[in-house]
Amino acid sequence: MIARLRRINPLTAVAAAVLLVAMAYVVPAPVGPLAALALSLMLAAMTGAGRRVAILTAAVAVPTWGFLVVMNALVAPEGETIRVAGVAFAPGALVPAAWISLRLGAAVAALGWVVMTTPPQRLVRALAQRGLPAWSQYLLAASLAAVPEARRRAGEVLDAQRCRGLAVGGGPLARLRATLPLAGPLMVSLVTEAERRAIALDARAFDARGERTSLTEVADPDGERMLRMVMWGAVVGLVLWGFVR
Amino acid sequence: MSTIALALIPRAVALNLAIGAIVAALKLPVYLDSIGTVLVAALAGPLAGVITGVTSNLVLGMLSSPIFIAFIPVTAVIGVTAGIASRVGAFRSVPRALVAGMVIGLLAGATSVPIVLALFGGVTAGGTGIVTIVLRALDLPLASAALIASVSVDVIDKMLSCAVVAAVLARLPRRIGARFGLPHPAA
Repeated sequence: MIARLRRINPLTAVAAAVLLVAMAYVVPAPVGPLAALALSLMLAAMTGAGRRVAILTAAVAVPTWGFLVVMNALVAPEGETIRVAGVAFAPGALVPAAWISLRLGAAVAALGWVVMTTPPQRLVRALAQRGLPAWSQYLLAASLAAVPEARRRAGEVLDAQRCRGLAVGGGPLARLRATLPLAGPLMVSLVTEAERRAIALDARAFDARGERTSLTEVADPDGERMLRMVMWGAVVGLVLWGFVR
Repeated sequence: MSTIALALIPRAVALNLAIGAIVAALKLPVYLDSIGTVLVAALAGPLAGVITGVTSNLVLGMLSSPIFIAFIPVTAVIGVTAGIASRVGAFRSVPRALVAGMVIGLLAGATSVPIVLALFGGVTAGGTGIVTIVLRALDLPLASAALIASVSVDVIDKMLSCAVVAAVLARLPRRIGARFGLPHPAA
């Protein structure tokens, strides 16, 4: 079961995550978001990402809860207030803040499970098998591949400008003034590089019509296709129920 | 869309992340993480701008945090508005770009408010959230506080982004500008 879950088609994982997000936001709290959060964390744990997903979830949900409590219970308290160390505090704001954070946490956990257990290139290949246009495939795959290179180059530009004596300390305005000499070379080099890439794409008949073939196929059994249809149907049903409720 | 625009978009997506990293390294009170989106929109028009914005947040959602996926409509608005601004010559000088940035910031801020209200209860954990809390302390209704906080941060951020893009476009080799079918921005 666990081994099978690890090999799941990325599109099935996406459908499951969207269904969990819909459940978190449409089914009334605390049942909906708690169930969605528990299921998401369970799926993450079964696929070896439980700790990372839990950390990501907490990193989003806990600060949000804190900000909501500060705003709705302390700074602008609504409803009945009590005095805590001489400060007005609205305890009634704690529960709504908890439900908002719980929903957000459930959504982050569900999507985080997909993000952390699905290699992006595999997701792009699965989308390509389902008819994603070649230009979209290129955009997603090339963007994902370009990120590490751009981060590395940003570090190089930062180091190079520091070596030339650029002051990157001081107040916010001084640091802001330091941004253009850092950003400028990076932007110009990326645009000029795009020209070279465009020539390479043209040389490889990027504009050619017709079906493309792939060296690797992502398995998509009939059972998973059926499951996806059921899950997307459930998403539509939940959204409609949310509107009429 | 031309092949060179398609080739530029992934670089611009990476640029959004890279500039975001530089800004974080410099501990600046802005994001500048739409600079690549504005650059593509200025060079290749609104459609390319929208595609860059959407792809950028999708990739950030896949590599960093799924929260970015919720803000895709905001990046789409930034892309389309910057593209339209480019078509009316907003990036031919830095002062014009600052005006365009103000408009883009207003629209981006306004677009993000319904998302922040629906998903975060009106306050995000960060600089914008602190501004919202301060405004709530001044007795402003939640929606107004969230709108003012979001718009004020976005206006400054997008004005800076547009000014940087205009400055860079003015230094871009004429040959590159011509490949995007645009007159030289500084002309």
